[in-house]
Amino acid sequence: MNRLINTFFILILVCFGNSVSATEDNFQFDSPQQNALFLELTKELRCPKCQNQNIADSDAMIAVDLRRKVYELLQKGYDRDQVIDFMKQRYGDFVYYQPPVNPMTIWLWLLPILFIVVALAGIVMTRKRQAPEIDNEQLAKAQAILERDE
Amino acid sequence: MKKIALYLIPLGLFLGLSIFLFQGLFSDPRDHQSSLLEKPMPEFVLPDLMDIEKTYTEEVFLGKVTLLNVWGVWCITCAIELPYLKQLQDEGKHIVGLYYDQDIDPDFGIKTVERVQQEVTDKLSQLGNPYAYNIFDVKRDLSLDLGVTGAPETYLIDQQGKIRLHHIGDINPRVWNNKFATLYDELVVQ
Repeated sequence: MNRLINTFFILILVCFGNSVSATEDNFQFDSPQQNALFLELTKELRCPKCQNQNIADSDAMIAVDLRRKVYELLQKGYDRDQVIDFMKQRYGDFVYYQPPVNPMTIWLWLLPILFIVVALAGIVMTRKRQAPEIDNEQLAKAQAILERDE
Repeated sequence: MKKIALYLIPLGLFLGLSIFLFQGLFSDPRDHQSSLLEKPMPEFVLPDLMDIEKTYTEEVFLGKVTLLNVWGVWCITCAIELPYLKQLQDEGKHIVGLYYDQDIDPDFGIKTVERVQQEVTDKLSQLGNPYAYNIFDVKRDLSLDLGVTGAPETYLIDQQGKIRLHHIGDINPRVWNNKFATLYDELVVQ
């Protein structure tokens, strides 16, 4: 029984523990802008070890090291893009949540547009094909039937 | 006939999507190619783990094919691959350790070098020492420059000091034969 309670407790911890941010580092920034940039970057950089967490959220050692590196680079005067490039050079495109546009990934943007275009074309085509099926003669007939009913 | 063809389009799309998603079930999300391949070793100046006075730079890799193995005594998988690395060394391979410690926080640094050395000596005398020498990545800077995500990881470095292969995870006979053997033999002959 005791064991069951323990397991239950661990499950609860596992489920909700993640929502508490792991960031407890004490970084001192020169300006509020720099602090904001740091928070933004650590949210957008992805932890290479723990796949679905950003480095702000993760407590893995690599995430701690990357946070410190981001801080160091900002202190050195790196801007946003320079920090992202620095990380990409070491950990690949994987480390940044926004994928780059290249021949491989361009389909992420093109496919939805292509789908809409093809679907619209399909609708227009079927409409056109149906249109001549009702001619004036049929309309007159229909009108006659309607008038007779009245 | 034309109608059948029209009905086949959604079926074809569905099959295509199914195959694509089915493949996804077997892909390893951790398996992403290192962005340092074909690039020279990053610059560094780091001490020897056993002799802190002695330092190494990236030039130490010039002139021979090296296996750079990232490890630590706290890493369980590393302990499992040590005996196989030892076997590789017995076959004449040049293996260098890149050692980093988990307990050393660069902001505080509570563990003494002597203690780290003692732990490493104990571990290696117990499981065999495959390393020609160990580079001590004190603040894990080189690991970061190499794109290390954890331990163990292994790099194959050619005679020009360029990184040719990056393997995340342990080295075992299967990994060696499938991933390393051909390229290693090629590089040694050059």
